[in-house]
Amino acid sequence: ADIISTVEFNHTGELLATGDKGGRVVIFQREPESKSEPFSQGEYNVYSTFQSHEPEFDYLKSLEIEEKINKIRWLPQQNAAHFLLSTNDKTIKLWKVSERDKRPEGYNLKDEEGRIKDISTVTSLQVPVLKPMDLMVEVSPRRVFANAHTYHINSISVNSDYETYMSADDLRINLWHLDITDRSFNIVDIKPANMEDLTEVITAAEFHPLHCNLFVYSSSKGTLRLCDMREAALCDKHSKLFEEPEDPSARSFFSEIISSVSDVKFSHSGRYLLTRDYLTAKVWDLNMESKPLETYQVHDYLRSKLCSLYENDCIFDKFECAWNGSDSVIMTGAYNNFFRMFDRNTKRDVTLEASRESSKPRAILKPRRVCATGGKRRKDDISVDSLDFTKKILHTAWHPNENIIAIAATNNLYIFQDKLNSEMH
Amino acid sequence: MILKGQKRKLEPEDREASDRSSPTWESQRQFVFSVSLNKYQRGQELPEPSLRRSVLIANTLRQIALEKHGEWPRDSALMSGEPATPPTNRSPSEDEDWGSAESDFSLSAAISSILTALDSTIDGAPQAALRTPLRSLENLPESAGDVAKPGYVNDVNMEDLFQEVDASLLGRVGYPAEEELVCYLPPFSSASSNFKCLPSFSSFSPLSSSSSPDSASFSGPNQSREAFELEHLMEILVES
Repeated sequence: ADIISTVEFNHTGELLATGDKGGRVVIFQREPESKSEPFSQGEYNVYSTFQSHEPEFDYLKSLEIEEKINKIRWLPQQNAAHFLLSTNDKTIKLWKVSERDKRPEGYNLKDEEGRIKDISTVTSLQVPVLKPMDLMVEVSPRRVFANAHTYHINSISVNSDYETYMSADDLRINLWHLDITDRSFNIVDIKPANMEDLTEVITAAEFHPLHCNLFVYSSSKGTLRLCDMREAALCDKHSKLFEEPEDPSARSFFSEIISSVSDVKFSHSGRYLLTRDYLTAKVWDLNMESKPLETYQVHDYLRSKLCSLYENDCIFDKFECAWNGSDSVIMTGAYNNFFRMFDRNTKRDVTLEASRESSKPRAILKPRRVCATGGKRRKDDISVDSLDFTKKILHTAWHPNENIIAIAATNNLYIFQDKLNSEMH
Repeated sequence: MILKGQKRKLEPEDREASDRSSPTWESQRQFVFSVSLNKYQRGQELPEPSLRRSVLIANTLRQIALEKHGEWPRDSALMSGEPATPPTNRSPSEDEDWGSAESDFSLSAAISSILTALDSTIDGAPQAALRTPLRSLENLPESAGDVAKPGYVNDVNMEDLFQEVDASLLGRVGYPAEEELVCYLPPFSSASSNFKCLPSFSSFSPLSSSSSPDSASFSGPNQSREAFELEHLMEILVES
């Protein structure tokens, strides 16, 4: 139940939230930099832990609803408190995270422990004053958005208007207002009239970071659809369809499965889209629908192993992807606790490992290499056959401004920082 | 999900697999088909099957079924896995495969109806479930066609059992199947009329090489189509 299922930085990068399979959310806060201890600056420590979702039972269908947190999204900060949305398969909750560092002291009727004073002992009146206290972080649920999804929620995305957000399940996307919990508006519905005709499901969805009327959703067939909410109330018809024509020479039984998009992210600029399918990560230009701008091979050495990966279900793993703050580097996870970063400008890429053995605190990560079968083997290379497919890095996040990344490896969270000025800017 | 462990053996599937006419391709196709069928059924047994996974596996099954007759789908509609393309949409040169196209259609329809049952589970609508054939006898709706022919109606549900059972018998062609199939039947809580269908098992034996003539004895286009698709499903499985 400790398996981390989602990782997300807030808009300033000061806070990092993780959700796990047991329905818990843990928030980390970055320590403010201090001149006295230069090495402890910028480290993340636990700020708050709370239980977001509990397991539920759907009596109508006799099904248990998992409490696993599928996604967390922060709201942009508007006052002293922080707000985040967390969702499991069926219900989205809005949580308020606030600090309390003062408390009133000097009550007339109560003593310090809160017991009622004997009135006869009160001889004079005093005004209670606020005194500093140890910092307490309070978390409270402010809204619960329930009962709007028949299928499993896979994505939530906050709109740039800061008033609405959307939630997407396998077949439908709903638009919510943050203040209204008893109603949501359906904006995409791909459920066919006859379920026998179902061949495609929604896999991820996200709002455009700047244009509040645009959003994108990806499908299990490898297509992306950009929709404009101004065009129609129900956005079943897309404004743009991004699809790469299939290479007939590379076709196999598993072509469709490996083309299924597992994650889609807009670039910070809003100009590009990053998608992840089973073997590649692709960057698309919003202005070009015919093919991606760039394609990066994440672990092409698995292409000849698809049959076994289909057998052991690994082919259905959903990897996430991330942009860095300047949209120049993209990152995604792989197997054996490896994760990959691709620099779009220099075209260089690196494979790193997130594991206890290979990363002591403050040690520099050593790049890893997977040698393809039959290729030349260098020292420290890992061969494809000895990769551990149970150690998968599905969830990664990049700080919005700095070169700090958060990697979730099963039930461990790794935070890597780039102290020195790196080439990846 | 069963993980096969850390060490992964290199599968000799790369180079031969790209040659479509090779026996390796054929054996891999059979392998993927049986694995897919197995996966799909096991996925359905879970309390909450993942829709994305089911759809992907069903599409893979459809693709294999389409390829079965040696056609490499050029039509983009087929590429997208549309099961219900009528034969008239195909090019004239493929007319001789019209008969097999219909069987593909019925196989695809079998798979599609499995998906319907999946939806009925998710949506909570009660239906006579192909998904759980071992329970289908108890769920038999009264209005299922011919009350006048109780034996035949029950036969149809026996076919559903066959669809479930066939995959498990895949590796044991040649084994006398009738008695074994009987022991897969659930204990009958309903009337003795159920037992009337036992003698008719012989016409549905998966080992009989004769195709459909007996199934034509059914009236009603729906049930005969199901018998037809069962025959073809069994043919494909037994061919390996």
